Amino acid sequence: MSLETLDSGQEHIASAISDEVVIELSKVNKWYGEFHVLKDIDLTVYKGERIVICGPSGSGKSTLIRCINRLEEHQQGDILVNGVTMDTNLKNIDAIRRDVGMVFQSFNLFPHLTVLENCTLAPIWVRNTPKAEADRLAMQLLERVKIPEQAAKYPGQLSGGQQQRVAIARSLAMNPNIMLFDEPTSALDPEMISEVLDVMVGLAESGMTMLVVTHEMGFAKRVADRVIFMDQGEIVEQNTPGEFFNNPKSDRTKLFLSQILAH
Amino acid sequence: MAETTQDDVVFRPKPSLPPPPNTVGVVGWLRKNLFGGPFDSLLTIVGVSLIAYVAYSLYQYGIANAVWEADTYRECLDVTKGNGACWAGVSTWMNGYMYGRYPDVEQWRVNLAGVVLAVWLAPFWFPKIKAKILVGMSAVLTFPFLAAHLFLGGEAGLFLQVMVAVAMTLFATVWLNVGASYLGYPSLRVALLRLSGFENKGDHLHKYVLLGAFGVGFVIAFAYQSTWELAAVPTQNWGGLFLTLVISGIGISSALPSGIILALGRRSKMPVIRVFCTAFIELFRSVPLITILFMAVTMMPLFLPVEINPDKLVLVIVAVCIFAAAYMAEIVRGGLQAINKGQYEAAQAMGLNYWKMMTLIIMPQALKVMIPNIVGNFIGLLKDTTLVSIIGLYDILLMAKASGQDGKWLGMHTEPFLFTAAVFFVVCFCMSKYSQHLERTIGGGYGRR
Ligand SMILES: Nc1ncnc2c1ncn2[C@@H]1O[C@H](COP(=O)(O)OP(=O)(O)OP(=O)(O)O)[C@@H](O)[C@H]1O
Ligand SMILES: [Mg+2]
Repeated sequence: MSLETLDSGQEHIASAISDEVVIELSKVNKWYGEFHVLKDIDLTVYKGERIVICGPSGSGKSTLIRCINRLEEHQQGDILVNGVTMDTNLKNIDAIRRDVGMVFQSFNLFPHLTVLENCTLAPIWVRNTPKAEADRLAMQLLERVKIPEQAAKYPGQLSGGQQQRVAIARSLAMNPNIMLFDEPTSALDPEMISEVLDVMVGLAESGMTMLVVTHEMGFAKRVADRVIFMDQGEIVEQNTPGEFFNNPKSDRTKLFLSQILAH
Repeated sequence: MAETTQDDVVFRPKPSLPPPPNTVGVVGWLRKNLFGGPFDSLLTIVGVSLIAYVAYSLYQYGIANAVWEADTYRECLDVTKGNGACWAGVSTWMNGYMYGRYPDVEQWRVNLAGVVLAVWLAPFWFPKIKAKILVGMSAVLTFPFLAAHLFLGGEAGLFLQVMVAVAMTLFATVWLNVGASYLGYPSLRVALLRLSGFENKGDHLHKYVLLGAFGVGFVIAFAYQSTWELAAVPTQNWGGLFLTLVISGIGISSALPSGIILALGRRSKMPVIRVFCTAFIELFRSVPLITILFMAVTMMPLFLPVEINPDKLVLVIVAVCIFAAAYMAEIVRGGLQAINKGQYEAAQAMGLNYWKMMTLIIMPQALKVMIPNIVGNFIGLLKDTTLVSIIGLYDILLMAKASGQDGKWLGMHTEPFLFTAAVFFVVCFCMSKYSQHLERTIGGGYGRR
């Protein structure tokens, strides 16, 4: 459906993957009540790697990336983020969350704060950055996502695409080394999708480690180092985008690709 | 695609026309709202006549036939023949309605406390003042001590004296901050540092300079208050509107903080806290206030050690606070439920801990949603405090009743209650109007008006 959103003729962005592991999941299992959402997930993410996760609705994509910053709790297996073990220790959880940014499908900006305040809140209250310094940094980031002129407005006054770019700037303000995106463009009108994807491409160029749940296959082809396909709580297949799209191994993947590319 | 050929249809918007007459202006309004059809017209006529009749009767009773000067209710009746109000009695008793049996010569203390509170909170409405929360907090937390000392008089214990001095120092701080802000300093803090020459001399010293300044203020205030000699006025003599405002004021200002804590407790993941808060809320919400008042006054002393002989007023205030907190807790819980789950997740994802998330993200949004309910609750509480008259506290309602049983004014039953009703109406109406104003201004719909 979305191959055209980004010109598929554009080249794949050079990646700068190091051999340093930043996220490691081993044998992660999670249940919602009786329902087994994540089944024996093993995943290793290297610094600078860009991973796109796709799969049918309800396959557990959101649940997987939300386990990485403990918005969801897993019941079995180990999750290691930036060398910190995810457990019930609040200190560890806070340490992980400080360095992992997250962008949501529904933006989740704070409606009672201005755009600038949205971006400075966490640096000031979590990192104890002085306000002037936080303001300066936030303005830089707003320029990076190309909406510095909206700094004094409230989120409710912005378009969806603008709000999502603010949300990205807000996450970046904490200076994270990993960014998680959960369908960042799914709630947007077609015209606004590309402005958000542009920002994400820029982020990829800067060498950020990114895990992106998305159905934007054009984005996947251009940016991803690895595409992961999930179904029914399992990682069915993972490969480079070239191999994944042109030469899928599993019949489930083939079916999925034929469905989403049929549009 | 951008080229236009002759076959293309060019879209031209139609010009806007003025609306048809009779739908705008006074005539339009009347037609639409009052005389929309035969039935509407009938309702309008009946309604207007009813209003006119009531207004006319009130005017006849309250003004045209009323007596303003008389020495006894008998004299009034001789003039009015029962067709007019006897305001003479009300004005004779006015002092009682306002202060109960608080001695005349000491009433300035009550007035002073009222003025101090008003002046203390005034910076709330000054556009230039930033830390408004601090203004409110300082008043809510320390003014009660100052007021208690002023109202009670007599020998104050050391703790009360210290708190009185702290209150005075904070009061001065609030107003010095106003002064500094309007003299062009960003805040009192900066003004103090700059004037004392410490602004650029190492940040670690700032704390001590500011603490020192506060300390000096405190010592002066403490020395000053220790020169006060206030005659003791026991709480049995408190009464009238003054007593009503003391009880409801404490109830109202404690309701929100304790309600928030109870509501958070009820949503807590820790079972002990959750069960306790839920039980507390449900218990006190399902019992009428009057029952709680009776329990507090008659049963509480039985549970307390004999040496402690608690003041009846204290017991009543505790009861009102508990009652108000239980109700407020449910309002707050409702407000919290109105907040989208995504807000919690976004706050957590950026590393805010529970309390920061609550105070910075969730509560400000929830409180805005809750304003109408909160103020409604405050108004209800203010009116509910009249129940204390049943257990024998001389609040404004009991004073009104007492005035009609007084020898000279025996039989004066209507006027005092009309007056009381008017007082309550004015206070409650102001609160209601102010809440509507708050709804419009706080966060202003977050920029969307
Ligand atoms: N809080 C919850 N309680 C119970 N079941 C849940 C909960 N959250 C998600 N699920 C279920 O878990 C499964 C996986 O959900 P998840 O949100 O991870 O899917 P997804 O792959 O992100 O789907 P989508 O593409 O629709 O966002 C779904 O079947 C969903 O119904
Ligand atoms: Mg999802």
